[in-house]
Amino acid sequence: MTEPSPPEASGTSESGVPDSGSSQRQKYIDFFLYASAAATYIPLAIYNKWLLDWIVGPLWLVAWVWGLPSLVKLVRRQPVKPRRGPDRTPG
Amino acid sequence: MSWAAHQFEVYAVEAHLPKKMKGQISWFAIFFGDFTPDFLAKFWVYGFNFHGKHYGASKPYQWHRGWPGMGISHTLFFGAMCCLGIWAWKHNRAWTIGFLLGFAAHVLTDVNDSIGTMLLFPFSTLNWSLHTWAYAATIKGGKYLDAAAYYSSLGFMMDLFWFFVVVIGSWRVLTKEFWRTNIVAADPHVWSWLGQWLDDRGLLALYRGVFFYGVCRMIAWTTWAHVVARPVINGVKRNGYPWDLSWTGPWWVQHVTLPQVTPWVVLPMALILLGVVYFVANALWERMESGSIKEIAWRNVRRKTT
Repeated sequence: MTEPSPPEASGTSESGVPDSGSSQRQKYIDFFLYASAAATYIPLAIYNKWLLDWIVGPLWLVAWVWGLPSLVKLVRRQPVKPRRGPDRTPG
Repeated sequence: MSWAAHQFEVYAVEAHLPKKMKGQISWFAIFFGDFTPDFLAKFWVYGFNFHGKHYGASKPYQWHRGWPGMGISHTLFFGAMCCLGIWAWKHNRAWTIGFLLGFAAHVLTDVNDSIGTMLLFPFSTLNWSLHTWAYAATIKGGKYLDAAAYYSSLGFMMDLFWFFVVVIGSWRVLTKEFWRTNIVAADPHVWSWLGQWLDDRGLLALYRGVFFYGVCRMIAWTTWAHVVARPVINGVKRNGYPWDLSWTGPWWVQHVTLPQVTPWVVLPMALILLGVVYFVANALWERMESGSIKEIAWRNVRRKTT
């Protein structure tokens, strides 16, 4: 198994070219995901204290911010696993 | 004890690293350093009930911060021992120094409650406390009373203080750019490994997750304590726990203490020790680099000979 490369700069397209329009859209989506993660976690945690845990809390955010878009990708039959490494850059 | 402050201070430490260490200290190490003291001591503080019997410390405050007890887990001495262990094991200065800074932040923050920490252990087993708010972990009240007392006292202000230190003074630490240039750069192997499963959005959420948890637990516990809970205090049923932002508040919990030094010397000593920790970290940083290189060279020699 080859070691994966570190995460790359976002706001770039698959070819590495900056894409300002989609990055602006990404910002709104990200904001919505973070805000909705908090809006769901806090009320639930008030009445279910076991959720207020140092593992559950951060994982909730990851599940919401990464899991939801991944779920959408799965439904659309798009790849979920991150594609990194040399095969990503053309030519 | 402090609650969300411990989550926020991880980012505050990251944002205020000495210049030469920026982008080189492992964020995970700071997190684990800050997290280790309570990870070792807190479970038995609250204990658990099984078949109607309570299992846990008979004196939570003694166990948590005292000697004999797990109070050693909240001492700079123990943090230094852990760092020696990490260095001996991995020869990785990014993790050794990161752990030291995170651990020190936790120990020094915890001098604020009425029990405090044994700052000069093993030279002295006296506790150092500023008595800013009352230590409230009890067998009967458990985590709930502890949270209610903390989020009704100056402890709440402490959480807010650290929150604002991060979002006003160091907001860049939460940005994607900072994460990419400082956090990932300091720990490329760990982030690469995680990157097998998560894309950038997921990795960034993981990094921000501790801050998110801090904000949410602060809001959730405060809301529960003052809006949802219906406690009976001194025979009177109340709508929410009463606020008490006076020194050593809240008034409605029993004040417990351990043998300790006069509070007037605590703040100067805590600041001196904070300076000492940064001085030691600075002094060791360069020397550890040569140690790391030596270790890598020896590892390569061993690999070639086997």
